[in-house]
Amino acid sequence: MRWATLAWILATASAAADNIAASPPVELSVTVYRAPFRAAGSINLDGLAGFALVSEVRNVHLPAGLSRLRFEGVADGIEPASAIVTGLPPGVIEKNREGKLLSPSALIAATLGKPVTLLRTDKKTGQPQRLDGSLLSDAEGGVVFQTSEGIEALRCSGLPETFSFTGVGGLAAKPVLSVLVRSAEASTRTVTLSYLARNFDWAADYIATLSSDGKTMDLGAWVTLANGNGVGFPSAQTQVVAGRVNRENGEVEPLDAGGPILAECWPRGSTSDSSSIPRYLLQFADEATRERMDRMFKKSAAPAAMQAISVTAARNVQEEQLGDLKLYRVPSRTTVASRQSKQVRLMDRLGIPIARVYGADLAADESASLAPAHLLIRTANDTANHLGLPLPSGHIAVFATSSGEKLLLHESDIKDRAVDEDVEIDLGDSPDVQVTVERETATAGPARTQEHVVRVTITNARPADIDFELRLRMPAGGRVVHADHPVGNKNGRPLFRLIVPANGSMTVRYQTEYPHS
Amino acid sequence: MDAARLIVVGCLLSVSSGGPAIAADRTVSVTIYNDNLALVQDRRDIDIKGGRQRLEFQDVSAQIRPETAALAAADISIVEQNFDFDLLTPAKLMEKAVGQEVTIVRVNPATGAETREQAQVLATNGGVVLKIGQRIEVLRDDGLPVRVIFDKVPDNLRAHPTLSVTVIGGHAGTRPATLSYLTPGLGWRADYVALYSESDGKIDVQGWVTLTNSSGVTYENAHTLLVAGSPTQVDGGSPNRYRGPQPRTTLQQAGTESGSRERLGDYYLYPLAEPTTIANLQTKQVSFLDVHGVPAEHGYEFRNSWLGTSETPQSAKSIYSFSTSAHAGLGDQLPAGILRFYMRDKHGDPQFIGESRIDHTPMGSTLSLATGDAFDVKVRAVVDKRTRLGNLDWQSDMRYELSNALPRPVTVKLLQQGLWGDSRITAESQKSTRRSADTAEWAVTVPANGKSTLTATIETRF
Repeated sequence: MRWATLAWILATASAAADNIAASPPVELSVTVYRAPFRAAGSINLDGLAGFALVSEVRNVHLPAGLSRLRFEGVADGIEPASAIVTGLPPGVIEKNREGKLLSPSALIAATLGKPVTLLRTDKKTGQPQRLDGSLLSDAEGGVVFQTSEGIEALRCSGLPETFSFTGVGGLAAKPVLSVLVRSAEASTRTVTLSYLARNFDWAADYIATLSSDGKTMDLGAWVTLANGNGVGFPSAQTQVVAGRVNRENGEVEPLDAGGPILAECWPRGSTSDSSSIPRYLLQFADEATRERMDRMFKKSAAPAAMQAISVTAARNVQEEQLGDLKLYRVPSRTTVASRQSKQVRLMDRLGIPIARVYGADLAADESASLAPAHLLIRTANDTANHLGLPLPSGHIAVFATSSGEKLLLHESDIKDRAVDEDVEIDLGDSPDVQVTVERETATAGPARTQEHVVRVTITNARPADIDFELRLRMPAGGRVVHADHPVGNKNGRPLFRLIVPANGSMTVRYQTEYPHS
Repeated sequence: MDAARLIVVGCLLSVSSGGPAIAADRTVSVTIYNDNLALVQDRRDIDIKGGRQRLEFQDVSAQIRPETAALAAADISIVEQNFDFDLLTPAKLMEKAVGQEVTIVRVNPATGAETREQAQVLATNGGVVLKIGQRIEVLRDDGLPVRVIFDKVPDNLRAHPTLSVTVIGGHAGTRPATLSYLTPGLGWRADYVALYSESDGKIDVQGWVTLTNSSGVTYENAHTLLVAGSPTQVDGGSPNRYRGPQPRTTLQQAGTESGSRERLGDYYLYPLAEPTTIANLQTKQVSFLDVHGVPAEHGYEFRNSWLGTSETPQSAKSIYSFSTSAHAGLGDQLPAGILRFYMRDKHGDPQFIGESRIDHTPMGSTLSLATGDAFDVKVRAVVDKRTRLGNLDWQSDMRYELSNALPRPVTVKLLQQGLWGDSRITAESQKSTRRSADTAEWAVTVPANGKSTLTATIETRF
């Protein structure tokens, strides 16, 4: 009856399918997308939160009948549910990704209940002793085994002990994607595998250089893309996509990367222990195990340090429209190596006219002591201003030139800017321009209103006239009833556009009214 | 080697009935529901000896809900059912040896010579205390190597949690029995791939069921049935009137068509065509849908919350909508899952353009899915003025500035939400429709590389 059982298993088990390995990729394409939640700013090499679409073209020789086609060397961050395989015959039965990886503990788990060889080395003579036995349990990190002598626990005796295994139990080092396919006839095919993979990211890094007269700037930018996966993509067609794409919080298919053999023992307290902390938790058979444990318990599996930052020669990426997104194509094939960040030129524009605008954003009716004004550079993303191209989000560093030397002024983040949008680059606070607010009077008006008279003083210690924008925040229903300067409006809030004279000051008085609540 | 491995697997999968293990002919059926729940029916031959007998099932799901386990076989009666989770570890092994004899082997570190002694375990509290002859010693207190050898594994210590059933059998003999139980750790969902063609406004859609198993065991050659639906009671939500901002609904119109798929009550059934092995921690995908050339519409949508005002323009959402009807649609009901959209780039290679979750969708429905933000189509909503008209009456002057950097005109569906209670639009630059009492909708056309402005005056009681 046992033979009948076995025959049945062999006949129907999918393990009966021939294992066929696809060739390594002959053609690769990597499209990198930004972290969907990051509206602005650079990438973080320690936690790449974007993703990529990887397409691999591979050659396959399929025999007739049932075969299990294995794709090895896919990115470790693969989202298996997103995998698409094209170019196969119609009889695709299923796609699988095994989640159990080869590790010391997985080896123990796979050998449970099966024969195993115990290897015990005599510390004095160095003579190894081999004993046949079987593994009984690996529960809760402890290992119990049986030999002809009886039942023992691994590494509790103080002798050097380990197991010697006969096979790896079908486990692989990296996640392997496989396709079960039934083919009517033998054929050689070109198969394309596409999948989304995590642990990639990209952002734009802009460098603005202000001219010495401060009236124009030069703007250059890099696309900085990074691959945090343990797999590299040699000579790949590389693209990056700008714009926010929707990502659902898809459940991550569970993956068991395994761990070391812990070999927990019984309580190992001794007569000299003074503390009640179970020391055995900290004792390991040898120093190497302890180090491994230290590494394992370290917060998250931090990727190994990025190996290199490589700068590709300045040939700009080519932009094209992809639905409602922008796709940038790296002009020639490039290698997106494992744990590498790479920079490709995005753009270079010279002599962009800019306006330097100082400003303050104040609560309309509250006194405030002296505070520095805010400075920004303003331009428009159009051809008249030597721009007029989509500006993907990222980080910008603003430099000024002073007697031939370059000087960093400010760094900030910028968001996606479409063509014809206004562009404002933050330059931080300017101590030369100070703003102070004094509330002169506060009275209750007729018809349940509140009235305030407020004076704002702006001082300018710079040797040139400056453009200044004073913007007010008010409670609902509030308005400016009188002012000694013309009042404008920006996004529903009162705005004074002023010119403050060089080495001078200016005072603005206004009266507000709002309903008493 | 493969054959050898399979024999071992065959033995492991057997029922052990106290004494000799019996290899069993076995059929496993797995019915998987959407919300991390599965019904496992495990049919095998068991050897009934007649009389009282304990049957152990070691290869059940590690996450089995033991209270749902039921064993059914002819001519047996069940006395009791136990789920033992006392696991075999070195510490437990030593603990259960308290009061019993073990063999200790001392190894001389200088010569390597072994000395064997019998010892009685007195205690394992913090450290192991042994009685050797008339001497009391602490195990390995001096740090020198000492092996401890136990005679046997205590009865109820096992490598895995184990279900055991004590039965009284009628006549002796081998007969088929079915063990059924519920277990979490098995689940499935659908994953869809949609390739949108911009030139003719059509999509090709493929659907895959994605099955995941984290239940701790492998189900060999299981007959697998997937059920679209959640049989467990879900929280119905609070009956309060205010429920906060509702998430964007993907289902625009619920369908009323019936498909040819098998049903169970109100659930749809998706049987897999052939038995499959669901390995532990495996992700498995099987195709269930492949439709080409379904018309799809692409549009833009922007939702503004009540008094929502923004300093910088915000991107409109990029929307794709299509039908699941048998006429000019996908022609199938869709189990819940994630739909990923792709579009070909200028080189003709498919590129990912975003994804959206869909709920269980009946056939004949209209779906409208947001794939992400449009880079070039933006809206800036501004509350220009808030005026108090009376004690509780307010007037809000809204302005919506729409911009389009695309070389073609677009239409943006602009939604103003939060018009609760007695709210009315007293003036507007373009006629709105009221989708519901709370939401006004405008379809605003923005010229190619141009701008449009929409204004509305809204009177509210708050």
